[in-house]
Amino acid sequence: MTRSTELVKHEARLAYLLLLPSFIILIVIAFYPLASVFVNSFTDKEFASARAVNFVGLENYGRLLGLTVKPLPPLTDPASGQIQRDPASGEPLYERPVKVLPREPRRYKELRQFNLLGSRYVLGASDRNFIRGMADTLAFTLLSVLLETFLGLIIALVLHSRFKGRGLMRAMMLVPWAVPTAVSSRMWAWMFASTRIGFVNVLFQNLGLGDGQIAFITEEAWQLWVMVAIDVWKTTPFMALLLLAGLQLIPEQMYEAANVDGAGKIRQFWNLTLPLLRPTLAIALVFRTLDALRVFDVFQIVLAQKRYSVASFIYYQLIDNQAAGYSSAASVIIFFLIFLFAVLYIRVIGGVQNEE
Amino acid sequence: MKSKNIAARALRSSLFWLLIVLIFFYLAFPFYWAVNSSLKTEPQLQMTPATMVPRDAGGDFAPSLQNYAAVFANPRFVRGLINSCIVAVSTTVLALTVGSFAAFALGKLRFRGKTPSLYVILAMTMFPQVAVLTGLYAVIRTLGISAIPGMILSYLLFALPFTVWVMTSFFKGLPTSLLQSAQVDGATPFQSFYMILLPLTAPALVTTGLLAFIAAWNEYLFALTFTSIQPSARTVPVVIALFTGQVSRQEPFGEIMAAAVIVTIPLIVLVFIFQRKIVAGLTAGAVKG
Repeated sequence: MTRSTELVKHEARLAYLLLLPSFIILIVIAFYPLASVFVNSFTDKEFASARAVNFVGLENYGRLLGLTVKPLPPLTDPASGQIQRDPASGEPLYERPVKVLPREPRRYKELRQFNLLGSRYVLGASDRNFIRGMADTLAFTLLSVLLETFLGLIIALVLHSRFKGRGLMRAMMLVPWAVPTAVSSRMWAWMFASTRIGFVNVLFQNLGLGDGQIAFITEEAWQLWVMVAIDVWKTTPFMALLLLAGLQLIPEQMYEAANVDGAGKIRQFWNLTLPLLRPTLAIALVFRTLDALRVFDVFQIVLAQKRYSVASFIYYQLIDNQAAGYSSAASVIIFFLIFLFAVLYIRVIGGVQNEE
Repeated sequence: MKSKNIAARALRSSLFWLLIVLIFFYLAFPFYWAVNSSLKTEPQLQMTPATMVPRDAGGDFAPSLQNYAAVFANPRFVRGLINSCIVAVSTTVLALTVGSFAAFALGKLRFRGKTPSLYVILAMTMFPQVAVLTGLYAVIRTLGISAIPGMILSYLLFALPFTVWVMTSFFKGLPTSLLQSAQVDGATPFQSFYMILLPLTAPALVTTGLLAFIAAWNEYLFALTFTSIQPSARTVPVVIALFTGQVSRQEPFGEIMAAAVIVTIPLIVLVFIFQRKIVAGLTAGAVKG
């Protein structure tokens, strides 16, 4: 009895000792930067400026997240009191959003208009770029992580089976991940060029799509898809390699047992491979989602100020607007969003979460 | 009956090979396009429609090595390659060593505060790099370390949580009975860690190592900031990004692509060497009949 408690104590001591180096490193490099992000988010601090810093409370957060919905009254003819209608379509005409959106204490700008129960409303945001960046980042994350998981799983399964040239394929698989993002983004921007010097336009034209002049990078409808395409190409290898390593850890005896039991390949995949791959899948998903939510290089290099991800919005606010306090608040918001995703994944799919 | 089976197998195997070819093209084609672009001169790059191989005005195959010559003639590029090697290797080795200690504790030992530790470690990478940039810069200035160790330390910010998490999950996947039987044989937990568990997780070590290495090799934003006052410490991505053409304000796209090809090939070789290790590990013991 005493021997076993002694053993448990010894084990715990060893555990703390083993964790110590990691925590020392993380405290040294992470504590101050992260703490200062939190503190700055409540101030109006400017980047590289000698101006006095004021505490502003939740002002930054309010400005970033400020959303409002206002009804848009239809325009009436002052003489007759009749609702004015568009002469061509017969649709009623509405007040301009600028007139109904609040100006004090913060000025709201139109994000979009919508109809609900026969009335027209306008959705306004006090920082349109941030709200749009947030929505784009979420859409980007969802699409790219979904595609990467799907493709990564297929590639991992294919490269897990035996065939001639597997070694070469495994080396090839990592090529996209190996090209520096700073360079691969430029390369893709070139492939997506808006004239026929770009490969994609040449390809589309040969397939009978478009006129060879599609402005993938400047046209709003294409921008997000281009970002997803670049990111999926670039990071599918990350997913595939992690999943491949996970597949390698499944003992072959298990498959042999399943073969004896007469389970088909598809049943084996659902009942054996996938459950055993779950911890690896969870971790791959956590890190991919985390990276996708913080996406910076691709947006910054290809789209610059044309369209923001949250991280490139933060960069713009910090470097070009020198709004250190404001950009810190945006960082804290994305931090909580990422934290939420991480906890959600781990709760739902499992992984390294402990049962205690 | 038999011939039907053979036909089905032939169909399956050709579909499988089709899939391999498709995957190969998807992954390799954009890189091929970089190689193709790197062999073109500026006028060839501007040709419409874009050509699948470098061609001259008459349509003949006409590759040019001038971009490669220009890249290697650039002393900053060679210097950058060396810097990148130092930074990426040190980051990977540090992250794997320190990280697998922590991961062993988190994956196999019993102690209080396991889940909070995991979350705290993960939380370190939950901020966008841009957000911690200024704070990190201040820390590195205060500690008085120069750019290269500064980069190595700051890359641990993303490499360490990643290694710890992946390795923890792999350690957890190993049967606890291994550890117990080692203890029965009189091994201390630490001995069983480096003599039994560590060799068994070789595939995980190689995988995380490769991924961390490449992430460090490719990092751009921290490198750009920390080397701003010490240009001799610049890593390859920064050097490439700062390439300027002979004609001012013209982006030397061909040279950028040539540099990209040059920095990617060592990594492909590296992966080719190490990928055998991914196959080793647990499956090595299993005999396949």
